[in-house]
Amino acid sequence: MPVASNAKIIEISAECKACDHCSAICPTGAISGVLGQQHTIDAAHCVNCGQCLINCPFQAIHDLSRLDAVQAALADPRRYVVVQAAPAVRVALGEEFGLPPGANVKGQMFAALRSLKFDQIYDTEFAADLTILEEGTELIERILHSRGPLPQFTSCCPAWIKYAEDRYPRLLPHISTAKSPQQMFGAVAKTYAAQKLQVDPAQMVVVSIMPCTAKKYECARPEMIASGYQDVDIVLTTRELATLIKQSGIDFLGLPDQAADKLIGSSTGAATIFGVTGGVMEAALRTAYEVLSGEQLEKVEFRSVRGLAPVREAIVEIPVKALGKKVPVKVCIVTGLKYVDPVVLDVLAGRSPYHFIEVMNCPGGCINGGGQPIRRDF
Amino acid sequence: MRGNHIQVLKHAPQTRLMHWVHLISFLGLAVTGFGFYFQLVAVDYAFGGIGNSSIVHRWLGVLFVAGPSLYILSNYDRFARFIDTISSFSRDDFQWFKTMGGYIPGLKGDVPPQDKYNAGQKILGWVVIFGSLFFILTGFPMWLFRHSLPASSLNLLYTIHLWDAVLSTLAVLGHFFLAAIHPKSRVEFGSMMTNGYVDAAFSRQHNEKWYADLHGNE
Amino acid sequence: MSVLIEKSGLNRRQFLKGAGLLTATVVISGLLAKFGIKAFARSTAYIGQRAAGVYSLDEAMTIRRSHQNPEVLQLYQEFLSPGEVKPLSERAHHLLHTRYGSDIPALIADLKIHALHAA
Repeated sequence: MPVASNAKIIEISAECKACDHCSAICPTGAISGVLGQQHTIDAAHCVNCGQCLINCPFQAIHDLSRLDAVQAALADPRRYVVVQAAPAVRVALGEEFGLPPGANVKGQMFAALRSLKFDQIYDTEFAADLTILEEGTELIERILHSRGPLPQFTSCCPAWIKYAEDRYPRLLPHISTAKSPQQMFGAVAKTYAAQKLQVDPAQMVVVSIMPCTAKKYECARPEMIASGYQDVDIVLTTRELATLIKQSGIDFLGLPDQAADKLIGSSTGAATIFGVTGGVMEAALRTAYEVLSGEQLEKVEFRSVRGLAPVREAIVEIPVKALGKKVPVKVCIVTGLKYVDPVVLDVLAGRSPYHFIEVMNCPGGCINGGGQPIRRDF
Repeated sequence: MRGNHIQVLKHAPQTRLMHWVHLISFLGLAVTGFGFYFQLVAVDYAFGGIGNSSIVHRWLGVLFVAGPSLYILSNYDRFARFIDTISSFSRDDFQWFKTMGGYIPGLKGDVPPQDKYNAGQKILGWVVIFGSLFFILTGFPMWLFRHSLPASSLNLLYTIHLWDAVLSTLAVLGHFFLAAIHPKSRVEFGSMMTNGYVDAAFSRQHNEKWYADLHGNE
Repeated sequence: MSVLIEKSGLNRRQFLKGAGLLTATVVISGLLAKFGIKAFARSTAYIGQRAAGVYSLDEAMTIRRSHQNPEVLQLYQEFLSPGEVKPLSERAHHLLHTRYGSDIPALIADLKIHALHAA
């Protein structure tokens, strides 16, 4: 059952101490209240990113949880529950069990999902690769055949999408029409996978484990029904998965190293780096370079797009076989939605020098999403 | 004693003024602070609406710092003598603690000679100094750096500020009780709260070591 | 009424104790400020650590390019663009692409018609 799209994903509770820390964290100014006044979120401007939630000094902000719906689906023998897990989850989930940030718990994550009795355990990274093929080809079409305006913006961040729809409707033709990996996965699961598994898609429940709270909003968007059903039914955050694992009494740290199921569960290094700022860009460049040049990259790393600075740019020389020359592809990476306005305004004014722009709402990328374990390091 | 009616000027006008400023700002800070931390709506509205008690609290905080700061700068000698007194502990002070100055019924014994401030008051002096410092060092960042401080630091500041508030309020309540209500000690009330004078006989008995150093106003 | 008063003036010990307390206050404030600045740096260190974790995973993968994912290629060959790997095929557009803002109602209508045909 889809959640009503006007359900508040992020809410400030009565525990709010009115310290006013969150109002500066919010990238869209959706939080109102002065110091000493209980703060409130304006749902119209909130992009559901959850940055306020993970930064509240009193953990007084909560996200809408459908953990009980997942448990009900798992317990229901008529339902075929399929799960996908995002790249950023596997380097942070361990923190809920005492491991340091960045610890690789990919194997235990898949093992835990298997212990929880999901019917199929897949990987969002499969869909990330799919996203690169679709979005990369779209970019090539725009650059070589003018099949759309440049620069092209990435579209995998639902907070960015809502922000653009709210504030910059004129920019929308610039945004890639490719869905996010989460949503591509859902559409493929309830059509291709359902056929292959011989499962009735009407009984299939697609759950996704995300580092992100905005994904809860994204899966309930009314147009996300390409499969004929709600493509992604329920989103759980990394924190909620940890809760589910603990409630089930599973010894997470003692789990063996397991892999995802086959069919729509295999991944690549390019897909894995989706979780970090610059990762989508780098994955796209790895494919675009080899497709356009017909050559194999000696080294797949594009270090010039890496880093944590809020707005970064790079020029990548790509030999384009079809044109018989090298094209300097100019790219821009934005991490932290509050830094995106000048970049967008340049595009709308026609003076943007870029071909491709990656935008992620959360500083650092999805690894620092609103659904990740809350850090309290000094 | 009766005929001559000798008085001692214990606290100068500047000192009493500073005490009044600090007292009033502390009371206002306590009421507004507890008011918005515990969301006591009545307190908020008493100041004109939600959020106003926070504004009043911040500016009272400025007064809370300004009062003693100006006093220290313009009366450095009085401040330094005060610090000297409350940081000098002798056997007489440790003995005082054994009988708690005779203020607790049931705790009998002789009270040894005391300085200008008795041993208990010396401790209160440090409670006020450290309490005020912790308020200031947490309070101003909570206001001025609330956006740039990381979440865990801000949480720690609030925790320290709250505990300081609880302990300081308890200390002030005890101080108020002895200063204004307890029959043995409220005799000195006027020395800080009105004209600065206390009976010489009282001082000779309760603050013997300080009394010995006084001289006549010739 | 005669009045007794305190001796005025300051001896060296008193002067130094007062100055000492004021100096200690300034020093402690400075240390707290330094702590606050360090705390800020430490509070965001986890982001770089998680990022490093992601890049390590990338380096450990056998296949590091999206266009070499065998299951993705199989998806195109068997389903999205039968017989070939053709992104932006009609089926790919239907399942994997979307529209934004004021274009959404038309998209929803299209999707519902498509579902009717498929049924």
